[in-house]
Amino acid sequence: MHTRRTLIKTAALGTGAVALSSCERSISVITQAFGQSVPEHLAVAQSTQIDPEFHLLSRAAFGPWPGDLERAKEMGRQAWIEEQLEPTLINDELCDLRARRFESLFFSAGDAYEFKKPVLRDELTRHSLLRAIYSRRQLFEVMVEFWTDHLNIDLEKGDCICLKPSDDRDVIRKHALGNFHDLIRASASSPAMLVYLDGKSNKVRKGTQDKPNENYARELMELHTLGVHGGYTQTDVREAARCLSGWTFDMKRKFALHRGDSFFKADWHDDGAKTVLGQTIAAGGREKDLDRLVEIVCRHSSTAKFVAHKLCVRFISQSPAQSIVDRVAAEFTRTGGDIKSVLRVVLNSDEFMASRGELLKRPFRFMVSALRAMAADTHVHGSPFRHGTGQLTEYLARMGHGLFQYPTPDGYPDHEAPWMGTLMWRWNFAMALVDGKLGDVQVPMTDLEKAVGQKGGRDEVASRWWAHLTGRLPTAEELSALAEATDQHAGKGDARTARAELLGVMLASPACQRC
Amino acid sequence: MPASSSISQLVVATPPVMPEAGKHTLVCVFLRGGADTMNIVVPYADDHYYSARPTLSVKRPGTSTDASIRLDDHYAFHPVMKPLEAAFKEGRLGMVQGVGTDSTSGSHFECQDQMEHGDSEKAHPTGGGWLGRFLRSRTGDNAASPLSAVAIGTKLPESLRGAPSVSVLEHLDDIAIKTPSGDPAAVTGALRRMYGADVTLLGQRGQQTLDLFNRMSTLHGQPYTPANEAVYPKHAFGDGLRELARLIKAGVGLEVACVDLNGWDTHFLQGTTVGGHAANAKVLAEGLAAFEIDLKSERDRYTVMITTEFGRRIYENASAGTDHGRGFTFMALGDKVKGGRILGSWPIGVMDETNPLGPGGVNIQYDFRDVFAEVLSGAMGTVEGSKIFPGAGLASVGLMA
Repeated sequence: MHTRRTLIKTAALGTGAVALSSCERSISVITQAFGQSVPEHLAVAQSTQIDPEFHLLSRAAFGPWPGDLERAKEMGRQAWIEEQLEPTLINDELCDLRARRFESLFFSAGDAYEFKKPVLRDELTRHSLLRAIYSRRQLFEVMVEFWTDHLNIDLEKGDCICLKPSDDRDVIRKHALGNFHDLIRASASSPAMLVYLDGKSNKVRKGTQDKPNENYARELMELHTLGVHGGYTQTDVREAARCLSGWTFDMKRKFALHRGDSFFKADWHDDGAKTVLGQTIAAGGREKDLDRLVEIVCRHSSTAKFVAHKLCVRFISQSPAQSIVDRVAAEFTRTGGDIKSVLRVVLNSDEFMASRGELLKRPFRFMVSALRAMAADTHVHGSPFRHGTGQLTEYLARMGHGLFQYPTPDGYPDHEAPWMGTLMWRWNFAMALVDGKLGDVQVPMTDLEKAVGQKGGRDEVASRWWAHLTGRLPTAEELSALAEATDQHAGKGDARTARAELLGVMLASPACQRC
Repeated sequence: MPASSSISQLVVATPPVMPEAGKHTLVCVFLRGGADTMNIVVPYADDHYYSARPTLSVKRPGTSTDASIRLDDHYAFHPVMKPLEAAFKEGRLGMVQGVGTDSTSGSHFECQDQMEHGDSEKAHPTGGGWLGRFLRSRTGDNAASPLSAVAIGTKLPESLRGAPSVSVLEHLDDIAIKTPSGDPAAVTGALRRMYGADVTLLGQRGQQTLDLFNRMSTLHGQPYTPANEAVYPKHAFGDGLRELARLIKAGVGLEVACVDLNGWDTHFLQGTTVGGHAANAKVLAEGLAAFEIDLKSERDRYTVMITTEFGRRIYENASAGTDHGRGFTFMALGDKVKGGRILGSWPIGVMDETNPLGPGGVNIQYDFRDVFAEVLSGAMGTVEGSKIFPGAGLASVGLMA
């Protein structure tokens, strides 16, 4: 692995060498020189069953980058998981070169108002895609996606577009592999969440008939912690809302220094005693009521079950066996919500390994895994969409998975059915990718071809490509369908087109929609 | 079950199922820029209109060849709206006067955003566009048709944000599998075999998608002849409506379609019966009339609504234009519209010139959300309006049958 110094030295060299081209071109050259490239040879799967390491990389990562599979096999699955659970020890400079360039992502919530909304949307979205495609901290990115859904915030509500970049950084990414309680606590007073679920208007002023705004309190229990059947009552929701009253966010505050921070407004707070889920919170707790409330809901046994179930649905099966959910929930309770420990149980379980190929990739995973498998070089440029040459984010919107654009607080669904209406855009994306028709996405086809290997007849080559993309050999049925596709081009002499159609069909196939 | 199960011999291909949703299409026409609807649906019986617009008013009906066309005792159409007169008389075209948002910003961006998101200053829904929320609520756990929502143009309109599937297109030929060879036969053949061998929901939906492509490909490259000798205006708006008519006829599950007509920000020399405003209104009227004629046999299958972000002031400015106002005249067209009427109290209430909330603007009588919600449920059947427009009162307007 390269050291920081050599990287910087080479970066300087690279930049000099291509000084006349764009900065992004230099980044592409440098990152490819240091690992974002294709190895000389790929050892693809040899079995008709999905390869175990390929499976792990398809779920705990956004699919293997060429060479990742060999590396995971060399390390062993358990060691790979352990490595991924310590993301800060994984050198991610190559990804940083591509993804740390967006100024708006470094600003505080209040200061982000300086940016135009389309800029904020563009930078946040591109950043997410670039991290998912290029980060070596893949499990971390997978969990970022998970918590982004769990604590969903739609950029289009109110000023959320100005506030989500800091929420992404200070809530989701900060705690993605940390402690669940800390994550919920951070989210509870995140300006973006205060706006998205109306916590900022939750006030109970003394001597008035003010009723607390229950929106956030309800979703905190229903969606973020206990689950809808988690055993809370409408009284618990109201009591929780009383605890939260006074936490607000106000861009019109006098002291501009902290403009954009959330804060506790004591005269909006209902400071009487409360009872939440059978636990009493004494009067006079002021802003500490929030901490107590988060502790009570996070420690509730329903929360362990709810989060465990949700993780099992995301990582294992649409209807996971109760046995694994129980084990994951027990670990959640035992460790007080330590996300790493919980993931360790999920990913090392027999249930995880037994569920190979059973999940539908949601569009984001489908797109990112295809880009990774093809070692694509992109900076995810935004420009007006044109069919067939379009941009990645526009394809995501067509597939129904525009990032940070899910309109209701439950986040993009895990179950399959809602995603089935947009297969045509997946297929068109697959065709455009292998045909070099996606603006700002280059695929090193020659290198890939060499690495997959040209030896053998039509079916042998096709089988190796298939194994590279799906983690298993094709069935006789699949192989014959593929042969039919390529045979139509045989004799027409255009090898490039024939190969593009073959790969396009593979990426569009049912097998590549699953993981 | 993994796709590797090879039992294709046992699988009988599912016939394409036309979903119930998509049998009726709501077409949303957005007049971007803040249309001067007062010079489209002219309040000719109001002297104040004539005194406030010494050069920009449209003449009273019957006074000259370029006079307005009488609709009722108070209102008349701008002469270029002639093609829609019949629809009004037949009771298929209805109007609501004094519709608007509660935004006092006067900003195109904010007011369009507010309208397309279904917001008010007081109540922000959870996110997404109002049509996006509608389509999500509509589909529930079922997948929408790949063509359940179509926006004509190149950019996703805010109103469709959050929809389960949105296609942005300029031409029907855009709905295709664009394969590297240019001929989709090899690719679709292979996909049909592989999705056909998959016995899960994925296999089923894959085959339905292929059927849809088949149906669309029969329309590709074909010169389209509108029915009943309808003639669409030579304009992007006319082209867009024509493509939507084709989609409605093709029965591909289109539920919501958005199409824009731009260029209504007439601050300067907007003209009266000639000029930019009249030309735009002409395109609007001719486009919608052609759509009606083309779809004469499918009139139970669509409802059109026509909105803009705000109306303009009653008085003209010194450069013979009009500045940003508040309320506007909303229009809806279709069998399900209780048309032939212009709703709203008479005379039109107009804000004082010194009123900071919208000087010279038409008073808001109807929250746009009430109107949108009524059109939506009138056109599409049962809709939980409070889910689409949380926090709105959703008072009845009386526009829809």
